[in-house]
Amino acid sequence: MKPIKPIKPILPLYALLVIGLPLAGLGYALLGSVGVVGPLAEGFTGQYWQALGHEPGLAYAALYSLWIAGASVGISVVLALLLVLRAQATLQRGPLPGLLYVPLVMPALVVAFYLFQLLSRSGWLSRISFRLGLTNSLEAFPELVQDAAGVGIILAHVLLTFPFLTLLFQAIYQESRLAELGQLTSTLGASARQFRRRVAAPLLLRRAAPTVLLSFIATLGAYDIPLLLGRPYPQMLSVFIITKLQRFDLRELPAAYLAGFLVAAGLLGLILLLLRLANRSRIEAG
Amino acid sequence: MRSRLLITVLLILFVLPFGLLGLLAVGEEWRFPEVLPPAYSLEPLRGLVAADNDLLGGLGKSLLLASVVAVLATVGGFIVARAIAGTRLSARWTALSYLPYALPPVLLAVLIQPFIIRMHLSGSVGGVLLGLLLLALPFATLLLGSFWSQRATEYEQLARTLGCTPRQALRRVLLPLAAPLLRTTLVQTFLLAWFDFGLTNVLSVGKVRTLTVQVFMYVGEANAPLAAVASLLLVLPPMLLLLANKSALLRKP
Repeated sequence: MKPIKPIKPILPLYALLVIGLPLAGLGYALLGSVGVVGPLAEGFTGQYWQALGHEPGLAYAALYSLWIAGASVGISVVLALLLVLRAQATLQRGPLPGLLYVPLVMPALVVAFYLFQLLSRSGWLSRISFRLGLTNSLEAFPELVQDAAGVGIILAHVLLTFPFLTLLFQAIYQESRLAELGQLTSTLGASARQFRRRVAAPLLLRRAAPTVLLSFIATLGAYDIPLLLGRPYPQMLSVFIITKLQRFDLRELPAAYLAGFLVAAGLLGLILLLLRLANRSRIEAG
Repeated sequence: MRSRLLITVLLILFVLPFGLLGLLAVGEEWRFPEVLPPAYSLEPLRGLVAADNDLLGGLGKSLLLASVVAVLATVGGFIVARAIAGTRLSARWTALSYLPYALPPVLLAVLIQPFIIRMHLSGSVGGVLLGLLLLALPFATLLLGSFWSQRATEYEQLARTLGCTPRQALRRVLLPLAAPLLRTTLVQTFLLAWFDFGLTNVLSVGKVRTLTVQVFMYVGEANAPLAAVASLLLVLPPMLLLLANKSALLRKP
């Protein structure tokens, strides 16, 4: 007896929507960047690509985004590893496992708004420090949001990412029976520290690598948080592109399309790397 | 001792947002350097039930959009995942489904915007719905791909051998088997649409005022009480989903 036949045109339709539309958009951005399409298109020109060398805005945005994504994901991974490897008993009972789910229900925009109200110079922490006599004016409180280093943006991403990574590492810890492996290494003479550094941490990091890279890509392209907690300069990539696109000067459009095309192509490359990593870890897991 | 300290720190870290947003929502004339509001008012909350209130409209739009996206993506994802499992190139199809993941939603919106304008969907709920489906459908397909294993096909064939029609095999065998995963997909795609701001804001050109768009708008207007109320409304449905089904929030394709 044959199973139910899938509806035939479903895959071409799916391909048209999910693959065709973004790729067509990418093609449109590429054509826009060489002046072939767009509201002020005047025919093929390479001037916007040549201008890339003189206009450092995109490169700064890329470097700034890499810094924010690297710092946010790096801090989140360290915090999650510390929790899973050093507070295993606490993670298995009490309210902690439930607590870690709370940030998963918070939209990025809400977290950004909350951190602005908490960390800005007129925010709650500044008020408390003023009342306690630690600061004597608004300006005396350190700049924690809309700052040059992106401290506020990093904190917001850490607040959202580290609980998720902790839950992920914990699931891998239990699935890989690391507690039993720890006992085994201990009978073979390894210290708890050696087990954590040489066995548990590398195993957790290798198994979670695709998700960690996905978090890195997501942070690299973040929009909501840097829009509220970032400065007009330097900007993260998504904010940089949208700002260029929404300017009243239509002559800026080709440069915006070029930025969009380059960022999208770069992120696609990262996703390809992610897929390879995922395949490798699937093969390793058997 | 150390365990209690850790729990206390995390409790403060994760519960403080709700406390501060609550204070902002009901606090009146709360300016620097007051640590607590000098007066409290339920005006922003009372305004919610007023007929001309934008927030209630935004809540309705967000709920409607997220629910429609969740249902369409889950049903579509179930069908597409089945079709992908049946092809010889299923690994390639799965890899291609990751494409929308590569791009931040707001950048995806920028890329498809010229076509949305040509389809006369710019600034409309339809345009936003199409954009959100572009994200949610491959997500659901990847998530539901794990269901269409050899085992599911064997169960289906067994049901057919025992006399089930294709429809009966679907209703009585496959859907009950897939129910937990379908629930998870429904929750996750709902949240994906519910949390979105960038894509909605770009494709709607500010005309489809969902709750996230309103939070941004109120922040821009420096209207902290209404931004706080909108933020609390945004957190409410996911919180209920969390209480109902914790595990549905974590699973990733």
